[in-house]
Amino acid sequence: MLFYSFFKSLIGKEVVVELKNDLAICGTLHSVDQYLNVKLTDINVTDPDKYPHMLSVKNCFIRGSVIRYVQLPADEVDTQLLQDAARKESVHSRQ
Amino acid sequence: MSRKEKLQEYLESIKGRPVVVKLNNGVDYRGVLVCLDGYMNIALEQTEEYVNGALKNKYGDAFIRGNNVLYISTQKRRV
Amino acid sequence: MADESDQQIGDVQLKEPLDLLLLSLDEIVTVKMRNERELRGKLHAYDQHLNLVLGDVEETVTVIEIDDETYEEIYKTTRRNIPMLYVRGDGVTLIAPPSKMPQ
Repeated sequence: MLFYSFFKSLIGKEVVVELKNDLAICGTLHSVDQYLNVKLTDINVTDPDKYPHMLSVKNCFIRGSVIRYVQLPADEVDTQLLQDAARKESVHSRQ
Repeated sequence: MSRKEKLQEYLESIKGRPVVVKLNNGVDYRGVLVCLDGYMNIALEQTEEYVNGALKNKYGDAFIRGNNVLYISTQKRRV
Repeated sequence: MADESDQQIGDVQLKEPLDLLLLSLDEIVTVKMRNERELRGKLHAYDQHLNLVLGDVEETVTVIEIDDETYEEIYKTTRRNIPMLYVRGDGVTLIAPPSKMPQ
């Protein structure tokens, strides 16, 4: 639940989603679900020469499992809060 | 004793022993087994990374994600 | 009291492998990924899937190219820096906390 809540706190912010097929999509985070599927709006492909077929797409839904990285706006992330949340979560998920 | 218990007992018995962990990608990790869990996630100490038999890296501690583990062996370390 | 079978790293009890990550929060870790990718950055968050958030990340990607004439393997590494990065856990193979051993 940690990362679901974390991504929810970033809704409306600019992110770059890098997929496992090396496609990188820049856009505004519109929504996220428990599987960490995401919807982006107002998207741009960072390398349009390589992937011209995405030029006309404005919004997209990305299945969580095809994501490799998400580049986040560093100044929007409260790292202290995140670390505290991770410590709390570690207690709950103990086997 | 059930098979499950035997496996548990084995895994418990190799804690603190030098082990070789082979991953699906062929890389070997040699180190002292600290602990492991049901996913086969592994914590190693004094870890050495061998790629194609050659020492590539050393890590004080290392966490290995279980899904990549092919096997854990208690074979003695080569000198 | 902790039971005798518990192993120790430093003076902290390690009951399960994920505790190694708990101890590494706010520390710089090395993350090895599939496809010859390696990350170094400060660990801000993790979960049981090994999803991570890393800060001030340096990513190193190694690609092996074969020279057309000599058939030699040429290792090419590209590096880039990312201020804040979410990493999906399924690509992770190994996480190494900052080493206290002499390298």
